[in-house]
Amino acid sequence: MKLLTHNMLTSHVKGVSKGYPLLIKATQVKVNEVDFNPKFVSRMIPKLEWGALVQAAEGLGHRQDLPGELVSDYEQNEDFLKKVHRILLEVEVMEGCLQCPESGREFPISKGIPNMLLNEDEV
Amino acid sequence: MSSSVTVRVLRRLQGLRAGPVRGPAGLRAEPGRFLSSGGAMNVFNRDMKKRQKQRVAALKDGHQYDYLRDEVRRITAFCLLRTFPLALDIGGGKSHIAEHLNKKRCRQTEVPTRCVVVDEEFLPFKENTFDLVLSSLSLHWINDLPGVLRQIQQVLKPDGVFIGAMVGGDTLYELRCSLQLAESEREGGFSAHVSPFTAVTDLGNLLGGAGFSLLTVDVDEVQVHYPGMMEVMTDLQGMGESNCAWNRRSLLHRDTMLAAAAVYREMYGNQDGSVPATFEILYMIGWKPHESQVRRTVFLTELTKITLKGERKSRKKREKKGN
Repeated sequence: MKLLTHNMLTSHVKGVSKGYPLLIKATQVKVNEVDFNPKFVSRMIPKLEWGALVQAAEGLGHRQDLPGELVSDYEQNEDFLKKVHRILLEVEVMEGCLQCPESGREFPISKGIPNMLLNEDEV
Repeated sequence: MSSSVTVRVLRRLQGLRAGPVRGPAGLRAEPGRFLSSGGAMNVFNRDMKKRQKQRVAALKDGHQYDYLRDEVRRITAFCLLRTFPLALDIGGGKSHIAEHLNKKRCRQTEVPTRCVVVDEEFLPFKENTFDLVLSSLSLHWINDLPGVLRQIQQVLKPDGVFIGAMVGGDTLYELRCSLQLAESEREGGFSAHVSPFTAVTDLGNLLGGAGFSLLTVDVDEVQVHYPGMMEVMTDLQGMGESNCAWNRRSLLHRDTMLAAAAVYREMYGNQDGSVPATFEILYMIGWKPHESQVRRTVFLTELTKITLKGERKSRKKREKKGN
């Protein structure tokens, strides 16, 4: 699971009002090199919840010098785009789980794929 | 969009006779099954559908049952005439849609794709996320279709678009009629063997009720030709499209099946000995409202006025020529 995917996911367990962002509990993290596409990254940035991305990167120990606030002229800032590219697309959680911040319900991640299925009593 | 494609599948299926799913005979209408906790209709056994899909995913020759999905997803992908940075494909299966978005035709998609295991009835995505949501042949097994359409509308960004394809009410009418006639004759009554489907007349209301604007609904018929009724049922099982309604009857007597096959061939058979199976495909497009759409609609109205003016002028010219 790449952090781009994590940034979109939320918990819909019955009774939960604050299911975002999910906490990452990783047991295996992989860093793969991915071709840098500045156009793609700059198109993705407006769709991101920046605080959630920084928090996730921090939790995985891959934040490095990613700024806490989104820089204003990011389209022209290639150095910044490379940092975002790395954290969004190169860092991947292979095994572990995602935890709902309110209910504590854990959603397993296996072979890089998060399983967000709910039990009958949770819907 | 209406391409009226006829997919011909005249092939022998020796060695592919997967037996029917065994279970106790009689109806499975359990009390309290028809209303879910949320008050929505509970028509389908979603656990059974999950098991059917898992069984199909494990088939070594599963690709040979993909012809219908491939055809529908090719048309669905053809609708994408604009670039969407972030898209969600609900019920993506083997990534048929992503595959059709490639410049070169291949299983490996050029579109960067991530997988998440979700229940289509409970989408675990934050609001206003996607520019495009696609769904091809996965919404017809959903209990709460209005609820799912509302969720799709929520996860779309303003001015985002939902493009969907699902099987409609007249799907497999040949199989439905043949089974009903044979069962009435042999057993003195009939029960549901083909899943209930959404009617095209309901689709506009469902999309409108979910908050979509600028709606487009279209119907297409895909007719597939098989050696016989048994092959139709084998292929449906291979597609993971066997009935999973709570009130289905899990067992059919052998003589009823043989009678149904004879009725099917007699009523609908082709001259070459094959039998047709019709799939009614409902295509839908709905946009999440945005203020730019008002301007767009006004522009289209203006365009209509211009066209009408031009039509009037040319009609006057024709009338003059006639005189």
